[in-house]
Formats: sequence, C-alpha cells, structure tokens
Amino acid sequence: MAAPWRWAWPRGTGLDEGTEPDPRFTFANERTFLAWSRTALALVVAGLGIVQLLPPFPGVPFGRHLLGVPLIVLGAVLAVVAYGEWVRNQRALRHRQPLPRTILPWLLAANITVMAVISAIVLILSAAR
Amino acid sequence: MTWPVTATPTPGEPEPPLPDDPEESDPGLARERTSLAWTRTAISFAALGGVVLKVSVASGLIILAMAAIVWRLGWTQRPGAQRLGLITVSVVAVALLSLVIALTGPDAALRLPHAGPLEYALMVTTSSQP
Repeated sequence: MAAPWRWAWPRGTGLDEGTEPDPRFTFANERTFLAWSRTALALVVAGLGIVQLLPPFPGVPFGRHLLGVPLIVLGAVLAVVAYGEWVRNQRALRHRQPLPRTILPWLLAANITVMAVISAIVLILSAAR
Repeated sequence: MTWPVTATPTPGEPEPPLPDDPEESDPGLARERTSLAWTRTAISFAALGGVVLKVSVASGLIILAMAAIVWRLGWTQRPGAQRLGLITVSVVAVALLSLVIALTGPDAALRLPHAGPLEYALMVTTSSQP
C-alpha cells in the first residue's frame, strides 16, 4: 500500500530518483523555501495593512485597493513559485547537477519596482487634488 | 579523518571532501537552523493571524490554528514535499482569505484613533461619566 503522503510527492519530478544528497544541502534548500514563504506572508500582511489601515487617498477612490490587492496576489504567486523552485533544486541535488537559475529575486524586484511606481502615481494624484 | 562535527574548520586547513555515503555526514547545526526557520515561519503565520483577528475573528482563528500546525510540521519526519507542499497551500489559502477581507471587509475596522494616548484616555473617561 502506498504511503499516505504519496499525493504530495509528485512522481516523475525526480524527487524519488537519483541519490540522497548531503543532508546539509537538503536543509539549506528547505530553509530557502521557508524564507521565501515568510516573504510571501509579509507581502500578504503589507497588502492587507494597506487596505485596512491606511486612510483613503483623497481624489483616488480605489487607491488603497490598487496598492494592497496586487501585493496579496504577489504573495500567493511567490509561495507557489517558491515551491516549484524547491522541487527543481532538490531534483538537481539528487542528480548531482548544477542548481537551476532562480527567477524569484527577479520576480520580487520587478513587482516591488512596479508597486513603487504605482504608489508614486497614486500619491501624486492624491496630492494634486 | 572523520567528517567534522564543528561548524568552523581549522584556519589554514583545507576543508575535507564530502563523504561518499550521505548517511555518514553530520549535518552539524544545519538541523537546528532549519528548526529555527520553521519556528520563524510559524511566528509569521501567528502575527498575520493576530492582525486578521481584529478584522474577522473566525478568519484570524483559522490562521492562528495554521500557525500551530506549521510549528508542528517542522518537527515531523515526513518527506519534505508533503511538509513544504502544505506550507505552500497554507500561504495561498491565507492570501485568498486576506484578498476576500481586503475586498469585502470593513475598511475602518483597523483604523487607529487620531487622538494621542492622553486625549484618548480623557475621551474614554469623559464618555463613561453620566
């Protein structure tokens, strides 16, 4: 009988193939995933805080939602992508291959830049009213 | 020479190669660092749960319960894919919950009073008088 956790251990992804890597590398990969998960949670908190804590921007009716909702969505996306990165890294470790390039820092930096630009536009529009 | 159990190798001495059998290698403090990372993640969930609790009690309690589950997951010996998959599902669920609160919840629920602590105390005192 298959183990009950088989549903979450995807077959054909290389996670049960190859050789067991050095435990320190496995732990490091796990910690990196957890750090990205905490970053995702921080984005969700920031988004929720913007919508619920900030006073409304005068002249920009949906300003708070314009800033907060994308951050919450980015948090969810970041968590899913981080899991994919963990799987790819673990597969590479098991097959003694070089670690694949990660898109997470680029994804985060690009989104923060876009959010900063949107924030500046909202603030300028709000101040102009 | 056995694999070093200390985290810092002797200065000047080249680091020994990894053993062929991973079972022979000692993870050193990596296990502790990973346990601490799990604890930090659980605290992050608890902090978010505390914030959401002020907006929606039911949603906040759910997220606080998730924090306890996350903390417990860090101590289980199950395969990483299951544990980390559950973390991913939890973060996405929390994000969806927050999205619903952000779009439908009361905007002013968490707004702080504009008065300072003294003015706020005076306001409460005077309002309680008959």
